[in-house]
Amino acid sequence: MPAPMPVGALTMASFALTAAVIGNAYYQKKQFYPSVVYITKSNPSMAAIYLLAFTMVILLGKLLKKVFFGALRAAEFEHLIERSFYAVTETCLAFTVFRDDFSPKFVALFTVLLFLKTFHWLADYRVDFMERSPVITLLFHVRVTCLLLLLSLLDLVLVNHAYHSTITRGASVQLVFGFEYAILLTVALNIGVKYVCHTVDLQSENPWENKAMYLLYTELCMGFVKVVLYAVFMIIMIRIHTFPLFIIRPMYLTMRSFKRALNDVILSRRAIRNMNTLYPDATPEELRAVDNVCIICREEMLTGAKKLPCGHIFHASCLRSWFQRQQTCPTCRMDILRQPPPAQGGAAGAAAAARNAQQPPTPPAQPQTPQPQQQQRQAQQQMPNPFAGLFAGMPMPVGPPPVGLPPFPFPPMPMHQAQQQQAAAASASASTTEAGTSSSTTTTSTSTSSSASSTGQAGGAIPTAPFNMLPPLFPLLPFNIPPPPPPLNFAAMTEDEVRQLEGNERQHVEARIKVLRNIQTLLDAAVVQMNQYASVVASLDMNSQSIPRNATPQQAGATESASAPEPSSSQAAEPMVGAAADRANSRDPDSLKEATSVTSNDEAARSEVTSSTSVAASPSSLSSTTTTSASADTSTPDELHPDSPQEIRRRRLERFTQNT
Amino acid sequence: MAGRALKRLMTEYKQLTLNPPEGIIAGPTNEENFFEWEALIMGPEGTCFECGVFPAKLIFPPDYPLSPPKMQFTCEMFHPNIYPDGRVCISILHAPGDDPMGYESSAERWSPVQSVEKILLSVVSMLAEPNDESSANVDAAKMWRDDRDQFNRIAERLVRKTLNLPYP
Repeated sequence: MPAPMPVGALTMASFALTAAVIGNAYYQKKQFYPSVVYITKSNPSMAAIYLLAFTMVILLGKLLKKVFFGALRAAEFEHLIERSFYAVTETCLAFTVFRDDFSPKFVALFTVLLFLKTFHWLADYRVDFMERSPVITLLFHVRVTCLLLLLSLLDLVLVNHAYHSTITRGASVQLVFGFEYAILLTVALNIGVKYVCHTVDLQSENPWENKAMYLLYTELCMGFVKVVLYAVFMIIMIRIHTFPLFIIRPMYLTMRSFKRALNDVILSRRAIRNMNTLYPDATPEELRAVDNVCIICREEMLTGAKKLPCGHIFHASCLRSWFQRQQTCPTCRMDILRQPPPAQGGAAGAAAAARNAQQPPTPPAQPQTPQPQQQQRQAQQQMPNPFAGLFAGMPMPVGPPPVGLPPFPFPPMPMHQAQQQQAAAASASASTTEAGTSSSTTTTSTSTSSSASSTGQAGGAIPTAPFNMLPPLFPLLPFNIPPPPPPLNFAAMTEDEVRQLEGNERQHVEARIKVLRNIQTLLDAAVVQMNQYASVVASLDMNSQSIPRNATPQQAGATESASAPEPSSSQAAEPMVGAAADRANSRDPDSLKEATSVTSNDEAARSEVTSSTSVAASPSSLSSTTTTSASADTSTPDELHPDSPQEIRRRRLERFTQNT
Repeated sequence: MAGRALKRLMTEYKQLTLNPPEGIIAGPTNEENFFEWEALIMGPEGTCFECGVFPAKLIFPPDYPLSPPKMQFTCEMFHPNIYPDGRVCISILHAPGDDPMGYESSAERWSPVQSVEKILLSVVSMLAEPNDESSANVDAAKMWRDDRDQFNRIAERLVRKTLNLPYP
């Protein structure tokens, strides 16, 4: 805010000066008429009078401002000063063009113009402010309405005046005023439309969804009118006077904003049409799966939520207003206009099909061939296929492991290498078994619900089980093979990969699926190991009739097949998960969350393992009885007692639990 | 019905008051105008800005979640990513259209997913780890790169200044 003192001082000084000038003139000439003549003839006196006039104008402006706006806010004042500065410099430029017409009258006219301009700007700020202010008083409405009516009326009158004076007296500086007021008239109209829109919005209970669209179209129309006006003005000016230097800046700005408005309208129309036609409405199940909050407005989504092809869900109205700015997904920045139409159609179709099955909408076939430029754009952040990135990032050649190789002598390898092998196994099994295909598609899907992934997991578990269970499974396996080391998953990832993992729900889910698959692998390994124990115990039972004391309960459990392996294999899984969590902890808290959520998901995996165990244990115990002779010589009861696999395993478990 | 921006700002304010992140306080300057906030940011531990309490103001645009707010420190700052007048230059505060430094990929730009809390957290991490590749204050960036001791001394002076402590 300007300090009141300078204005007060200026007022006082100008009044005093004028009084002195008039007093002096009257004192010298004694009569009214000669004093007036004296004052008009003397330049210093006229300067004092002009100063007074200037002061009066400022005071009038302050009065009007008080009447129509009250106190100005700091931001408004800053903008006002800035724009006034430009307006004044442009006016000075205009003066150079019309230097022949220069007279106090024109100064006065330009002052009026400047005043009207400032009032238009202020009205603009005020109407914009309506959107921000929590309370709009009646006084505000009265003020704005009066001001807008007054401004439009003044603009009209002045345009009319300029037009008539140009028609009757030929082109003069009035031409400039005419155009300036015509421009101001469009501004006033624009503000009026905005005001009406905001008022309607304020009256209604729910946010008015089409408001932004109306505003955009208004801006477009007004921009067009302005551009035309400027062009006409420029042509006339060039023909009559000279090149109008002073309108270059406003003209450039107008054209730029018009171009932007046009671009916005075209792109947003396309994006919104896409949204309305192609993208499915989010179902209540999907809404429940995410946390049901629209990330744009931070409010609950009850109805009217749309799902983008990338799987993110927003309010349709929020999306519409965002698409007027940018045509990308707010969360993952996928360019929705660059999305190829067939994939969109596929997404919509798949989503329609998936709505019954509550499956994620990404078509199973599509993600294998992501658009290359799109993938570059997203910089691997939004990978449609989790394995595509893995294979791309891996220097290691990928070959399907020999089918039938038991996963138990598990080389110490980082988690995602294991994962890769798993994926390769899945793809290998895909050619042979139907269930294998389902497992590979679930991993490529953009599932956000953990339930979907765990059901997919259950589906994928069945084809892998036969491979693990292929007898005779090396009965001579040395028992002191170290258990599979805890996966080095996060430690093996680069900083960038870890960062990619953060902040993206989909990647979390992918990571979860990976971790689950690793757990599955570990569990399978444990099952195989248990089968080994069972076979050994069975062979002991057959070879030496003397039963070692500590082997009895194990053997009893093993022969009952299902019950014994289950607890110990799940026990084996527990420290693994714990160790993974530990590692994750050292990397970052976000992945820790993943790991802990994995432990909760572990329940599902475990139950699935029990089922596979029950399937697995019975054939292998049968087969192990056929291959007992090989294992008989190494494992005599006496050797078994101190170094028995159960003992080793238990000690290791203890160590693991101590670590975690 | 008030505007969408206002509602969202109120929601964010509520969340920030209920679960304030560590070392950050933020809220509207007055209840009349929710589009101007003040924030106090603690200098992150273990950095040269440790213990400092830096005031800043945030100015939100009327279409707030669609356009980013502006952030400006109201105390004296000397940092590669803060303009000498206090304006903060981080990519999260830039709309994808404009790129004052020409370095930023659109992935780290503003989007409605961001929030005041995320902005302030990124400012904290910016204090901890300046990005001297896209510097708003070239002197600070140069000193950060070449003369870390001097930079630390200046930072310590600023910290003491924010705490109203005498500094050598």
